[in-house]
Amino acid sequence: MRIALLLAGSLLFGSAAAQGSATPKSQDPAKLSPLECEQLLQELQQKAIDDWRASLEAAQKARENPDGKPVRAVRMRPDFGPVATKAYGFAKQFRGTDDAVPFLMMVVQMSTDKAEQKKCIEQMLESHLDSPELAEMGTMLGKLPRRIDQEFADMVRTKMLGSKDADVQGWALFATCKPAIEKADRDSDEYAIAKAALVVFADKVEDRRLQSEITGAIELREKYGVGCTAPDISGIDLDGVAFKLSDYKGKVIFLDFWGDW
Amino acid sequence: MYPHERSLVEEMKDKPFALIGVNSDSTVERAKKAVAENKLNWRSFQNKGSGGEISQDWAVRGWPTVVILDSEMKIHYRGHSGDEATKVAEALVAKMMDDGHK
Repeated sequence: MRIALLLAGSLLFGSAAAQGSATPKSQDPAKLSPLECEQLLQELQQKAIDDWRASLEAAQKARENPDGKPVRAVRMRPDFGPVATKAYGFAKQFRGTDDAVPFLMMVVQMSTDKAEQKKCIEQMLESHLDSPELAEMGTMLGKLPRRIDQEFADMVRTKMLGSKDADVQGWALFATCKPAIEKADRDSDEYAIAKAALVVFADKVEDRRLQSEITGAIELREKYGVGCTAPDISGIDLDGVAFKLSDYKGKVIFLDFWGDW
Repeated sequence: MYPHERSLVEEMKDKPFALIGVNSDSTVERAKKAVAENKLNWRSFQNKGSGGEISQDWAVRGWPTVVILDSEMKIHYRGHSGDEATKVAEALVAKMMDDGHK
């Protein structure tokens, strides 16, 4: 969703200097529209990032000018706790309407409290299963086994399969078929069935990300997966000399995608 | 992973084996520095080729990713475990040697 994208953008590209004060305090939150609430959360999120950056810089300075005081430990990432709390408040405010879904999703993304995450997910499944907004949950299905546990992830996937929204259902179907696409024997029925189901579904869904996930997973397996003949690579080496992967044909090749970052 | 790769190249020196890198560092200088500092003994493509990024073509989403190809360039392994990749590569090389490759 928009807020999450903004977050990624801010972390990557740095935030604009001199952000205004975070919260328009004079406004009554009960009267804010969903859009205004989202904007407010974005500001809060930006503030958390700015605060975190400032603390990093302060720690760096303290390290450069050691005055005998120990340097305070710096968090690994911004503290989004206040954003999660605020989002939860908005979710309550819009309870019963699908407007609540993006806020519940925010809590799931921002909160570090497993029980709270579970509660919000359960609420979405129970009251908003057919809402197109729930498709966002699809992008998280792969992370749920680690963030919560496998059993809970399977429960979410199974419920989403029963959604009336094609995108919600599509994400769940993709998560269901993905293991077969990645690992089943290419000649097996299991692979053929999984692929057929996904290809048929890819035409029905509107979510572009899901479409590209589906075509990407199949292409990856059928062009670059185990059992395929690798396409040649033409390029230049670190000294600028042109060469091809096929120059080494006839040997076993250990192709290593690496970087020293 | 460097020491492992380095010793693998060393061990396989006289065998039908090649370790080829695709380097994704932001600059060539950075990659060359890593090569010099760690005494890396294999040839690498620069990831940013003229026709786009190699890693993108190959849909690589996590680093390091290792792909093992046999002598006909058929893919036998693709994944993130250097140990598993090495086992697959060693088995393929051993088979080639058994089949009379010199």
